[in-house]
Parts: sequence; structure tokens; C-alpha cells
Amino acid sequence: MNSYHDPELDDILHEDDLRHIAATLSSAQAPEPPLDDAFRTGLRRQLMKEAWSMSEGRESWWRRVFAPPGLAWAGSAAGLLLIAAVVVWVGAQPPGVNTIEVHGNVDGNRNVALQQPILVSFNQPMDHSSTERAVQIMPATTVTFSWAANTLAVQPASGNLAPNTQYRVTIGPGAKTASGKQLSSKQTITFVTQPPATPAPTPTPRATPSNALSEKSLTSLSGTTALRGQWSADSSTFYLIDGSGALKVVPASGSGITTIAGDGVTALSISPAGDRLAYIREGKIEVLTFASGQTEEIAPTPTPQLLGWAKDRLLWAAADGIYGADADGSSQQLRALPRAGDVTVVSIAPDGARAAYQTADNLLFVLNLASGSSVQVGQANATFAGWSPAGGQLMYVTDDHTVVADTQGNTQATLARGDASWSPQDAILLGGDTDLYQVRPDGSNLTKLGSGSYHTPVWAPNGTAFAFARGGSMWTGVAPPLPPQPTTLDQATTIVNAFMKARLDGDSDNAGTYLDDNGKKAYGSAGMSLIVTGDPKFTRFYILTQEITATEPDTAVFVVRLVLTRDKIDVSDYEETLTLVRDPSGRQLLIDQASAGSRHDLGKGAEVVSVDVELDSVAVTFDSDLDPGTVTDGVYIADSKGKRVDAGVTYANRTVTLSGLGLKAGGQYRLVVLTSVRDVLGQNVAAEYDLDFLGPAEKKHGNKKDVVSVSPEPAL
Amino acid sequence: MSDPSREDERELVALAKRDPRQFGALYDRHFQQIYRFVYSRVREQTAAEDVTSEVFMKALKAMPRYQDTGRPFAAWLYQIAVNAIADRYRTLRPTQTLDDFHDLSVGGPALEDVAAQRDELRRIWAMVEALPHQQRTALVLKFQEDLKIEDIAVAMGKSAGAIKLLIHRGVTRLRDDAASLRPVE
Repeated sequence: MNSYHDPELDDILHEDDLRHIAATLSSAQAPEPPLDDAFRTGLRRQLMKEAWSMSEGRESWWRRVFAPPGLAWAGSAAGLLLIAAVVVWVGAQPPGVNTIEVHGNVDGNRNVALQQPILVSFNQPMDHSSTERAVQIMPATTVTFSWAANTLAVQPASGNLAPNTQYRVTIGPGAKTASGKQLSSKQTITFVTQPPATPAPTPTPRATPSNALSEKSLTSLSGTTALRGQWSADSSTFYLIDGSGALKVVPASGSGITTIAGDGVTALSISPAGDRLAYIREGKIEVLTFASGQTEEIAPTPTPQLLGWAKDRLLWAAADGIYGADADGSSQQLRALPRAGDVTVVSIAPDGARAAYQTADNLLFVLNLASGSSVQVGQANATFAGWSPAGGQLMYVTDDHTVVADTQGNTQATLARGDASWSPQDAILLGGDTDLYQVRPDGSNLTKLGSGSYHTPVWAPNGTAFAFARGGSMWTGVAPPLPPQPTTLDQATTIVNAFMKARLDGDSDNAGTYLDDNGKKAYGSAGMSLIVTGDPKFTRFYILTQEITATEPDTAVFVVRLVLTRDKIDVSDYEETLTLVRDPSGRQLLIDQASAGSRHDLGKGAEVVSVDVELDSVAVTFDSDLDPGTVTDGVYIADSKGKRVDAGVTYANRTVTLSGLGLKAGGQYRLVVLTSVRDVLGQNVAAEYDLDFLGPAEKKHGNKKDVVSVSPEPAL
Repeated sequence: MSDPSREDERELVALAKRDPRQFGALYDRHFQQIYRFVYSRVREQTAAEDVTSEVFMKALKAMPRYQDTGRPFAAWLYQIAVNAIADRYRTLRPTQTLDDFHDLSVGGPALEDVAAQRDELRRIWAMVEALPHQQRTALVLKFQEDLKIEDIAVAMGKSAGAIKLLIHRGVTRLRDDAASLRPVE
């Protein structure tokens, strides 16, 4: 980089170190950002449409239609306008010239909304009846036509397009211009529609004004700037060790502060049940039982340094190991520290199963008290920051970040650097000199709570109140709750989509990260391919159905359809059934089982494109408009013995709904679509379609066990 | 001697001024760089798409009024982009990490040097993000987009001298903030 030279900068960057900065900056090469080709082509079409409008010297049809008054009209006709669109014009030639070009606004798009108006424009009048007769749509769809000047709108009579479907809109050679000129050859527009609508995501709350946190100063920290202490189990009281070593009882109300010990206190820990407070004073452990007010003293050797609990058993760390108190008043060493004297225990996990220690050369380790094994966490200069409420994960800070890791040192998430506290409701507070943030342990829902100094925040067990240090005093505040965490089904859907996207991209390494050992074996077996190659080509996928089938551990079953394409036309597909199971750490869902069905050809009768399973109903959506008279007998649910389950059958908007089913959670069922089902063109389903599924364990998108519940009122 | 690609571009611009339907060729030519620049500023795909759409739609509508001043057509597009980003993010700043965007392409150094250079690069680009808006934009256009001073002046609506001053101040501030960064001898 020393050879860097830019004549333009010679006269302003005289000094070597300035040129070095410039050289460093100029050596950066920005990689290509993520780009959706559909956006690029879609924007081009939009621009060209606008350009046509400009060249004609008038405002475009769609602008007039979708101007506010038009939009009002569109609103009143909601659900009616939907379409495949055709733009026909005669190039740059005046009317009457032989060349006729056909363009569709959605041509080639792969994510067309189900209810999306499509722009239409013609540069010369068309003969309406011949053009309408020349329009064909596959899959079979009942449509209506409307014209606005030289614009043709073809709209499904049902009001919307089918999801997950490739449409082919063909303008046959029978279409004529108003002057009688025929299209020289048929023109086809293809596009693919979006998946069915899902419930709107929970909005991220707005940043809360800093004065909305009900902050108040409770007491002086007597010469220290960091908060040391712990909340009582009922969140009503904070037990504080101040800068002079006094142990104080600070009610959240701020009044009636009392002192348990006037000085010499170096550590404290409240039992998980909240009934006892242990603290170290002048090398001895005092255990205060709240109910009786009695204090017991333990004088262990070597000197205790910090405290913890394993359920109701008191633990402490000393220079040479971790000790536990026995019921008879004696104590025993549970685990010796590796490199005793050269390491310092910094914390005992809330479950008492592990301890974190720091070496003299500033490396962080987690010691498993049962096995005695140690695992390094993070790199050099990793500093312990806190445990998850159950002790299964921990946080540490680096020069730049706060890192969430499991107890094996595997990074789970990287957050902004800050003083951290992890609530029982799985929200992490990140404080510092200038801001306070709240964030989920996976990095989601980052919300700024306030501006100002928020050092060493400590959540109360109720997950709403917190204490922190500011300006040499202890303060408390109240944090608004974070939005509910994603449901297990949402998490599983994210995993499946990422897994399938990696396969679609041919990235086997990335795809493999979503498989556990069983899943890897499944994709190594005959008939299964992680990366799908060959002709026709794997071009898209969609989730046909998804459900939670068990909760301990969380288990989700997905049926994913892989679509194979030749010359831009979807020609065949097959289904894979993926079973996702939450791993033993309880954090991650991985694909544990996978199986594939056989390929079948497309374009031969109606196809099932979405199946929504609930305990009391199953909704089956087809890509074609069906002959309603063929639905009642042709679509049904069978139980594990093959017996048809009684159901009420209704049909609307390409969807057959079987209701009143009373499915049993975990029961085996089969959706059957017989070949007697016909589309509106009279074409029968080519072959019987069967989809096996289990009775769902829970309702989708409802509140579940992993949804956060927060105490409504803080004890302040 | 004239630059053939500039001559080619002038012809495309002249065509598009006469007939907006010819704008597609200019779009095809400049989409990638404008999108990349916008993305590097907003760091979010949907926002980048929105801003890029706005840039090209404004450019198309303003084509009849476009005056060829001898500067590349892209400089005008950058100008629209800079304004669009400023309008959209007047009160917001990108928050995502730069680690995944500014990558170091190092040709030649030994492997052990690459990591150090990459680290230095990330740190210094992180510091760029903390610069005042105008300095930051000037540095991005100069060092990331590789624009000439005169073209940056067009894009930012300032004089060439003002751009040089912004770059000098920006680089000097980076030097002062990065005490640990020293020329590699």
C-alpha cells in the first residue's frame, strides 16, 4: 500500500500517514450486495412503462387508476382486480407496422403478489373480442376481462391468484388489432406467485422516550461506579454491596433502606428459592434465613471469594477450587481448579453446574463441576458478563461486542458491547455511558430504551424492573416488554427456508449446517440429494404444509415441494418431508429426518399448492378453479386405518375446506385427492394425490409455552 | 483523444433525452453501481431497492432537462442518490456492522499480513461511519466508488475545492482517531 498514489490527492495529502489512511481506504473492495434480479427487471419494466407514458405525453393509465380517487374505487372493488397482464405495442413503429411485441409486466417475475394489480398498456387499439378469445391461462382459471382505452385487464373471477403457482398467460395468434392485423405468433407470459399470506409479523415497538422508564435514584453507592448486588426473588428489594463494603437492603420503593452489615462484605448470593441470603464478610460466609432472621456462619479454608447456589445447596469459590456446604455443616471440595493459584473464579452459574474462571493471561474458561472439564470461551481478552437465567448459556464481552455463547463456547449471537444482564424472560439489557438497549439473546428486537448513563444494569426477576448505576448512585427503572418471541413454528419455517435456499444456491456447506447427524445421514442415503442437479433444473421451492407435532422436544414436520423447470416452464415437482427437532441445548432446531417422494409431471390437471392443517379443519388450496361438483367426494381425510374421517366440505376460491374433523394430536392421517376432481376446463387430476400428516400438537401462531409472559407491574 | 466509452455514453444520453424509451440502456449501464452505492449507505435490501427505484425514476423524469456538462452521466445519478439517501435517512444512520461489506482484496502480502490488513481496514471503515455526513459521503465516493474529485463535486453539489477539503478533513480525522494505524514500512 506504500505505492499508493493518486495525483488528485497530492496537493491535500502531504503526510505519509495521511496517504497511508487513503491507501487503506482505497484498498477496500465492496463485494456485490444482495440483489433480487426480479427487482432489477421489475424496476426496468416500471421505468419503461413510465417512459412510454412520457413519450405519449400523458399520464399513464395505472397512475390515473391508482391515484387517490382511483384507489378509492379500487378499494371498493377490493378483491376483484387481479391479473395477468399483457402489454402489446408495435415497437417504436407507427400503427399498422408489421412487428408486434408482447410484454407482460410480470413476465419472468417469481414473487407476484396474489392480489397485485398489473400494469397494462397498448400503443394502438385492439379488437376486444378477438383479443379476449385469444387469451388462455394455465392453470385453469375462470377470468373476466375489462378494457381501459388500449389496456386489457384479465382478472381471476375469484379475486386473486393461486399461491405458489407458475402461471402461463398466452396470447394466441387470433388476437387482432383494431385495424384487423393478427398477431404473427402466440406470445406467452410466465410468472410465479407468492406463498399464501401469513399473519403479519409483530411490529417492533418504537424506542421508548427516556423519561418513560420511571427512573429514580435510590441510594448512594459510596464511592463506586458499578452496581454489585442482587434482587430478591419477588423483585421487591435489592441487596446492595456499596463502595464501602456495606450490605444494604434497598426496597424498590426507595424508602426504609436498612443495613445488614456495615463493612467488609465482598460477595453475596440469594438462594434460587429466595429464602436465604449468603454473603462473605471478612473471609467468612454468613447465611441469613429471611423467615427466621437467623444467621449461620461458615468459616471455610481457604478463604471464600464468591458465592452461588445449586438449588438449595450453598456453593463457594476459593483460590483452589469450588466447594459445597453439606447439611451437617461440613463442606467439601466439589472440583479443584485447573492451574490453581493462576486462575480466578468470576462467577458460579445460576444452576450451580458450572463456574466461569479467568486466567492470569486474561482467557475465559467454563468449568463443568460434574466432569471437571474446562472449555475456553472466546478469544483473548474475553471478559465474563453474565449467565442466562438457567445457566445454559453465558455472555462475555470483547473489545467490540457482547457475545452470547453456549457453555461449550459456541457463539450463539453477537450483540453490541455493553454492561449486560439477562432476564428470566429472555431479554438482555445492554447499558453503558450513553445508551440503554434491550435485545433478545439471538440479537433480534433490538430496542433503545433510553439515552444516558446506565452502568451495570441488573434485571429484577419480574423482567420489568431493573437497577443500574449512574453517577455514583443506585437507580431503578422499568423497561417495556419486548414483543413475543417467534413461535417454534416460525423458527422452524425460518430454518427450512434458509436450508432450502442454500440448496437452491448449490451451497452444500451452508445447507449442511441445518442438519443434525441423522439429517446428514438421510441426505447421504439413496434417493436423496442435498444438491439437486440435472435437467430439468431445480428452480424454486415452497412449503406445502407445516405443523408442530410434538413439544418435548419441540418437533415440527414440513412438507416442501421442489419444482423442476425446463426452458422457464415448470415441468415436474416432488416433495420432501422434513422433520425438525430442537437440539438438546434447547436453542436450535435442526433437520433430523428427511424423505423424498417421487417426481410427478405438472400441467396435467389441478395441483394442490397449499395445505393448512388445524385440529378441527384442513384447508386444501389448488392451483386451478375446480368444478365444485367434483369436490365433495374427491377430497377427504383418512385416518391411520384408511377410514374416511367425517367432515363438512366447502369450496371457495380454489380452496377446499374440510371442517369438523376433530383430529387427534399426533394421530396419523392422510389427505387424499382423487382423480375424480376436475378443473373448470373439465380436466381431471392426473393421478391420486396423497399427503400424510400428523394431528398437530398446537395451534399455529397462537401463544405457546415459548411466548414471553411478563409480570404486569414491577414491584417499584 | 476522446474516450470511446464516454462517446458511447454521450450518444446514449442524447438518445434518452430525445426519447425517454431509450433510457433503458442507461439504466442497464449504471444500475449496478448505483444500487451498490445505495446499499453501502443504507445496508438494508428493501431500503436500497426503494432508494434505487427513486433515483432512476427521478432521473428518467428529469432526462429532458439533463445538461451534459462533460462529466460522466453517473455523477448525475450519484447526485440524485446522495440527495435521496439524505432525504430518507436525515435522522437515521446505518447501524449494521461493516465487517461483511468492506472486504480487503490484498494482492501480494504474505498470509500473516493479510489478517492484520483486513483488521485495519475494518477498523478504519468503521471510523468512516462515525465521520460527519458530508465527510463520510465524500470519502465513500472517492475511495469506495472511485470517483474523480470533479465528479464527486457534481454528485454532492459542491466545488472541487470543497470536496478536497472534506476529504482532507476526513482523512486527517481518521488519522487522529486511529492512533494505532501507522504506515507499513
